[in-house]
Amino acid sequence: MIKVKQLSHHFELGKKENKTTLPVLKDISLQVEAGEIVSIVGKSGSGKSTLLNLISGFIKPTEGDIWIKDQKVTDFSEAKFADFRLNQMGFIFQSFQLIPSMTAYQNIELPLILKGESEIDRKQKTIAMLEKVGLEEFKDHYPSELSGGQQQRVSIGRALVLEPPLILADEPTGSLDSETEADLLTFIQKLNKELGVTFLIITHDEEVAHIGHRSITISDGQLIEGSDSL
Amino acid sequence: MKIKDQFRFIRQNIKKNRVRTSMTILATAMGCAFLIVLASVGYGLQETVVKDTLEEQVVTKIDVYGHESEGNYRPLSMEDVEYLESVEGVKAVTRRNQLRQIPTYSIDEYDAEAMAYSTHFPSEVESGLELSGGRLPENINEVVVGYHFVKHLVKDMDNADIYDEESGEIKSEYLYQDDLIGKTMDMKVRKDVEGEEIYETMSLTIVGVLEKPTREWMQDSNVYISQEIYAKVEEFTGTPGGELGIDPENINEVDTSNTFDDVKVYATNLEAVQGVSDELEEKNYAIYSVVSEMKQINMLFTIAKAGLILVGTIAIIIASIGIYNTMTMAVTERAPDIGIMKAIGANPKTIKQIFLLESSYIGIIGAIVGTIVAYLISLLVNLGLPIIIEMAFQDELPEGLQFSAIPLTLVLIAVGICLFVTILSGMRPAKRATQIDVLKAMRREI
Repeated sequence: MIKVKQLSHHFELGKKENKTTLPVLKDISLQVEAGEIVSIVGKSGSGKSTLLNLISGFIKPTEGDIWIKDQKVTDFSEAKFADFRLNQMGFIFQSFQLIPSMTAYQNIELPLILKGESEIDRKQKTIAMLEKVGLEEFKDHYPSELSGGQQQRVSIGRALVLEPPLILADEPTGSLDSETEADLLTFIQKLNKELGVTFLIITHDEEVAHIGHRSITISDGQLIEGSDSL
Repeated sequence: MKIKDQFRFIRQNIKKNRVRTSMTILATAMGCAFLIVLASVGYGLQETVVKDTLEEQVVTKIDVYGHESEGNYRPLSMEDVEYLESVEGVKAVTRRNQLRQIPTYSIDEYDAEAMAYSTHFPSEVESGLELSGGRLPENINEVVVGYHFVKHLVKDMDNADIYDEESGEIKSEYLYQDDLIGKTMDMKVRKDVEGEEIYETMSLTIVGVLEKPTREWMQDSNVYISQEIYAKVEEFTGTPGGELGIDPENINEVDTSNTFDDVKVYATNLEAVQGVSDELEEKNYAIYSVVSEMKQINMLFTIAKAGLILVGTIAIIIASIGIYNTMTMAVTERAPDIGIMKAIGANPKTIKQIFLLESSYIGIIGAIVGTIVAYLISLLVNLGLPIIIEMAFQDELPEGLQFSAIPLTLVLIAVGICLFVTILSGMRPAKRATQIDVLKAMRREI
């Protein structure tokens, strides 16, 4: 599903005269198979979120290549990557990233609108997803009227509504209490089992890392040898 | 993303900032209304001038003044008339000769002075000459008179008392009141022989009265005599057209029956006028037609209108600064939402489209409101301004004067300019929206 080859990335700091580079990722190579749940663990500042942002196409790598579903996404234009994200990827963020002016229903419906689906299909799929994430009663609630766990469920609903084969999750339980966290992890495992969705989860939480088939540790921008617990 | 959904997004966004958007729409509407009202003055005055010109003259008429050969103009002869009649697109060629003295006409104790013309009646009829009563002359002593001729038939012409002191017009009791048709009148012509005035009287029968001229202010009090009577006058005076003040001894040729003072060509329709004019000009005829005058008038007004539209466009450009500002603020405010949309797969093109549509939406609504306002202003100006001017300057304006006219073309031009400018002003903010950094936007750093 995902193949990362000799990926390096650095950020440029300062202005022209005093420009310095800050290496974040160094020569990362990894592979995620379809149907896997893979956790990437590491301390804050280890580069794990940068790795996810590179795979998501939010930033371009300094060196190296990324293949997703056998397509070299590092060569994609911004527009092509956007289409690819819409059709092949779902995102779960730590801070949910819901649009505050949209209801739970509208947030979940958004990817369907962006894809240009008909109103009837959209309604059918959105309601089905609301049921799946257990929020049918809260469909007209705005994010500010939902709890953290409910917001994260809306976020998951939005990530799954187009049934993408790959979900990228950045600290999905970071803003949740332990009970909601446990619920969410069970839900992820269920989705993986039932729908065969591949999950790449970035976390610093050992408990979250353990739900995966394997976990990869990153430290100081490098993969730790033998950390692959497949 | 479907256009319908994009519009739904825009409506939602506009709802959120109703006051700001309304103010921007208002500014655009004012700019658009200013442009339309300003240019409508050009259109209105053009319409008035064109209407005036067209009403004054028959549009299919071409005046032919003479023929130019080797730098000299000669009057038109019967051969010229025959040629003119043969030109394609010509319906009729009228030819008249004006009597070069003003005869006196008498019916019973009423007298009148009026110009006399000899004319070819069949061609006059073909050109559209109509009678208000009676018939056309059938023999040499029969004449038709102009519609206003009767108003010149006055009793006691030399009496100063015949004029009304207030209006300055002839009192009705001195005017001829009977029907003219069938009446016999005497036409008195004069010649001067060695300082002595000698008169000759010819008895003529009025058989018809011409139709009233189309314009209120036009007067037709002419008498239309036969070519034979015209020739008799020439024979009596011994001068061309019965002209006074020249010695017949010094004139070689008196007979003017083969030449015409006034020749007019009538085209079959408006479209044929240009073709006929071109052909006559090519054959060295000196001509004038209202169509060529219209060309010049229209050219002048086109330049004036273009200038006014240009000035009006400045108002729309000023309004567009408001749109730019509104759109820039909208992009800044919505940056986190844009970031989320981009993250989940919104194409930059779609985002650009949404913002461009939003600025176009403001432009369209502004243009519609502006057009409605402009129509109202135009209506008020046309109704109110003549009253104000009349009150302020104590001066009556010409009848039918239109200050402002808004044809569909002006509305289309204004809406087009408005849309173009508003889309243009929305371009940069829309482009900025596509360039929003997903990560920064999601971290609320923008």
